[in-house]
Amino acid sequence: MKLLTILTASLLPFTALAVKKSSGDRFQQHFAKQLSNAGPLKLDDKLYGDLTKTPRDYSVAVLLTALEARFGCQLCNEFQPEWELLAKQWTRGDRNGEGRLLFGTLDFMDGKGTFQALQLQTAPVLLLFPPTTGPNAKPDNVPQRFDFSSGINKAEPIHSWLVRQLPDIPHPAFVRPINYLMIGIGITAVLGVITFFTVAAPYVLPIIQNRNLWAAISLIAVLLFTSGHMFNHIRKVPYVAQDGRGDVSYFAGGFQNQFGLETQIVAAMYGVLAFATISLALKVPRIANPQTQQIAVVVWGGVILGMYSFLLSVFRVKNGGYPFWLPPF
Amino acid sequence: MAAATTEKTTTGFFFEGETGRNTRGLLRLIILCTIAAAAIASRLFSVIRFESIIHEFDPWFNFRATKYLVQHGFYPFWNWFDDRTWHPLGRVTGGTLYPGLMVTSGVIWKLLRFLTLPVDIRDICVFMAPAFSGLTAFASYLFTSEMSDSPSAGLLAAIFMGIAPGYISRSVAGSYDNEAIAIFLLVFTFYLWIKAVKEGSIMWGALTALFYGYMVSAWGGYVFITNLLPLHAFVLICMGRFSPRLYVSYTTWYALGTLASMQIPFVGFLPIRSSDHMAALGVFGLIQLVGFAEYVRAQMPSKQFQTLLRAMVLVVFALAFGFLVLLTVSGTIAPWSGRFYSLWDTGYAKIHIPIIASVSEHQPTAWPAFFFDLNMLIWLFPAGVYMCFRSLKDEQVFVVIYAVLASYFAGVMVRLMLTLTPVVCVAAAMALSQILDTFLVASTPDEGDANKKPQANGTPAGANGSVDIKQQFANLADGLRSTKAPLVGIYSYLSKSMITGAITAYLLLFVLHCTWVTSNAYSSPSVVLASRLPDGSQHIIDDYREAYYWLRQNTAPNAKVMSWWDYGYQIGGMADRPTLVDNNTWNNTHIATVGKAMSSREEVSYPIMRQHEVDYVLVVFGALLGYSGDDINKFLWMVRIAEGIWPDEVKERDYFTSRGEYRVDDEATPTMRNSLMYKMSYYKYNDLFPAGQAQDRVRGSRLPAAGPELSTLEEAFTSENWIIRIYKVKDLDNLGRSHQEAVAFEKGNKRKKGGAGKRRGPRVLRVD
Repeated sequence: MKLLTILTASLLPFTALAVKKSSGDRFQQHFAKQLSNAGPLKLDDKLYGDLTKTPRDYSVAVLLTALEARFGCQLCNEFQPEWELLAKQWTRGDRNGEGRLLFGTLDFMDGKGTFQALQLQTAPVLLLFPPTTGPNAKPDNVPQRFDFSSGINKAEPIHSWLVRQLPDIPHPAFVRPINYLMIGIGITAVLGVITFFTVAAPYVLPIIQNRNLWAAISLIAVLLFTSGHMFNHIRKVPYVAQDGRGDVSYFAGGFQNQFGLETQIVAAMYGVLAFATISLALKVPRIANPQTQQIAVVVWGGVILGMYSFLLSVFRVKNGGYPFWLPPF
Repeated sequence: MAAATTEKTTTGFFFEGETGRNTRGLLRLIILCTIAAAAIASRLFSVIRFESIIHEFDPWFNFRATKYLVQHGFYPFWNWFDDRTWHPLGRVTGGTLYPGLMVTSGVIWKLLRFLTLPVDIRDICVFMAPAFSGLTAFASYLFTSEMSDSPSAGLLAAIFMGIAPGYISRSVAGSYDNEAIAIFLLVFTFYLWIKAVKEGSIMWGALTALFYGYMVSAWGGYVFITNLLPLHAFVLICMGRFSPRLYVSYTTWYALGTLASMQIPFVGFLPIRSSDHMAALGVFGLIQLVGFAEYVRAQMPSKQFQTLLRAMVLVVFALAFGFLVLLTVSGTIAPWSGRFYSLWDTGYAKIHIPIIASVSEHQPTAWPAFFFDLNMLIWLFPAGVYMCFRSLKDEQVFVVIYAVLASYFAGVMVRLMLTLTPVVCVAAAMALSQILDTFLVASTPDEGDANKKPQANGTPAGANGSVDIKQQFANLADGLRSTKAPLVGIYSYLSKSMITGAITAYLLLFVLHCTWVTSNAYSSPSVVLASRLPDGSQHIIDDYREAYYWLRQNTAPNAKVMSWWDYGYQIGGMADRPTLVDNNTWNNTHIATVGKAMSSREEVSYPIMRQHEVDYVLVVFGALLGYSGDDINKFLWMVRIAEGIWPDEVKERDYFTSRGEYRVDDEATPTMRNSLMYKMSYYKYNDLFPAGQAQDRVRGSRLPAAGPELSTLEEAFTSENWIIRIYKVKDLDNLGRSHQEAVAFEKGNKRKKGGAGKRRGPRVLRVD
């Protein structure tokens, strides 16, 4: 009996060895694959389970993503080439697999089970499974999670995050490859523009030097900027929103809020008011016919009054306590 | 004020010749003085309602620095090393501030003393901004008079500038900040520049440089001038309007102005080393090349040679540009400073410099803010810009460039509304004066005469216009569509009275709007809060000063106070205690350290506070009063800034619930509820309410039944309305226990007395 116990006990290290060996095998097998396809492994539920099985002496970084167009995950698609580039460079820089780090991508379409098991509501999510045995092992089998909540879509922050999480392995540097295509396009474009201008100068110059054109450009820029276009651009506000009753609400409530359409309406109002002012100041005194002039004055004066009054009423919607108004609205 | 202007134009017709000119000059002077008085008076709401007090945050530092200057003299101020801020690092204050404001008020103080008027330095500081706003109104009068032929445009611009809320927002009495004098300097420098370009004189160029130097010493926004003047010169060159006048004024300004700006220690060698200033240098080089080419062309009439020369100029320019880029890439020239760069790449600050993105005045501007600050000027503004295109002289090109750039900047950052306001006032005044000049002519044009009249600008020649230069470019202009037909005038009195009446009404409405906005939005000192009692009387909430004076009177003079950086200047100014971080956000890591201490568990925060010798911690808490500018609302920024330095120890996500909400009630995450900030804010807050009824009036949520417990800090002071809470950091335990153990032990004792602690659980191994 005792002999049996001793025998079993002496066998125990071998079982451990066996497990370890198989874990090592797994790594070698997947790493070879990763080397050959020069990028992250494409996973499905089964492969994912296989890779993250617990006794493992290597780390796995898995990007859980949803690439298909119908999910409309913009960030996923933006980040995917970056992720592939990062995996490629890391694998190349560490050809012998000294760092024992595997990269994998699990698309939602291939790994619905995993997404459900992890109770993931959002994508992309990056999980890093540290090794459970061997050097650099972490005692608990809890993957580190990187959230893309701040809108990161570049490889560099991920690279530095990986470096921080796995401090004791070699870290191949991430170098963004020189985009020869872009340089080529740039040079061609510059040369093209120069050529175009030398050839077309006699026809283009009068247009460029046209004062009306520049006036229009300046006015449009001023109207865009003063009606809060940059706010839309930076905050990415919705164009319009639904109010509770199924109608479209054109004006956002609150002083610090606005919709895309709202700023366009405001810009249009400013434009109309400015145009009426210009007409009154410059065009009306150049009308030779007294009757026409009288009518023009009444029309433009009325337009200014109506528009300004409407503008004030819109502003009262935005700022509840505003006390001033003009007659029509 | 509109009535005054109106009156002036009509009375002008009754005076002819030399006496007429004198009368008009006198009238203009009187009107300008009235405008200045109106500008000053409209900024005094806060002094009348509250008291003569310094406002907000930054002014407290400026005030403290001014006091230091007045007490110790100029040279100690210049070399001031301040060991009472940024403990334990200290700050080379003399070398890292813009001294213009303090020196100006110091000089005024000395001058008044010399005239045997012993005025308190505080009063000079409080009334500095209104006084300079009067000067700004005068400067915009000068500036606009250069732009427009109309005699009323300048006066209209002056009064617009005097009462436009966009400028008042930063220049009410007590708002003792750099902008208080900087806007005057900005407008006046522009006026001198226009004058220099017009006259082509070295004197005006040198004056421009002088005031540019003053501006550099006063405000970091001088970069706007540094880039706008070269851009103006560049556009003029591109338009084929290079002239010896431009050459003289630009080179004079650049050479002298750069030297002047380098005298400020904070700026130092930046003008030749940072990308912000490279545009000015580049245009300086370009203008030399163009000047040379023009000179040679005048000497050598050969056509081939001219082509060669032009090509050469282009090549040299391209090479120089490439060289500049190379220097920037190689690091000899500093890249764009983050603050300036984030204006172009609007997403940059949020990712890379959260400390800039966290400031509310660096947020983008929604359209109501434009209308709120400028009212009807905002729609007169495009019309004025359009009128600049009518004769498009050199100076009007400047207004157009300024208008487009400044509206872009104001759209990106709320704070830069300030640089937009002057140009809006100028352009709006040009548009409005054009209308008034057209519709206020008493005589009626003869109908038969209309077709014979030659084209004119429709306005009588201004007193300040220099006619000969204007004529040069009048021929170049191909004119706007709307001014092709010959000018006739207005026939009927009905039209005249209708439009004049409407404009007068709008102007009156504008005055009402400005007064209302100033009185309601921009006149709160924010150190003192005002509220209305149910019976309508005013109630002053003075918690800030109460707490700061408590600190001043009850703590050791060298007790270090830790708070979020917003309150650093106020603690330094009012409580006179050393702080860890303040509103001069020069050291991001130090701020992140404080952020980490605030957002971590006590076990993590305590060592940090010990290492920084913190004696007291100050938090602002608005839940009782419903004061929304409190620290819990700013808390996420502390987390973000700390996360920027310690991404593995502080994570923003941990402060949000699984549904992505930021909550303080029962559903708040454990990280949130264990953070030092949360604990300090809500410590003993429950005791104010019946059990389980504690209510947060800012977040509008009910708080957990059991309040947080503190072990490493003890409550030292809470102000009347709980807005400020001060905690004392406990010393190490006498028996060498951890604070948690000590607190648990104390509690255990109490429980024993009550007879509830008799049952003991099994012994467990403490795993930490």
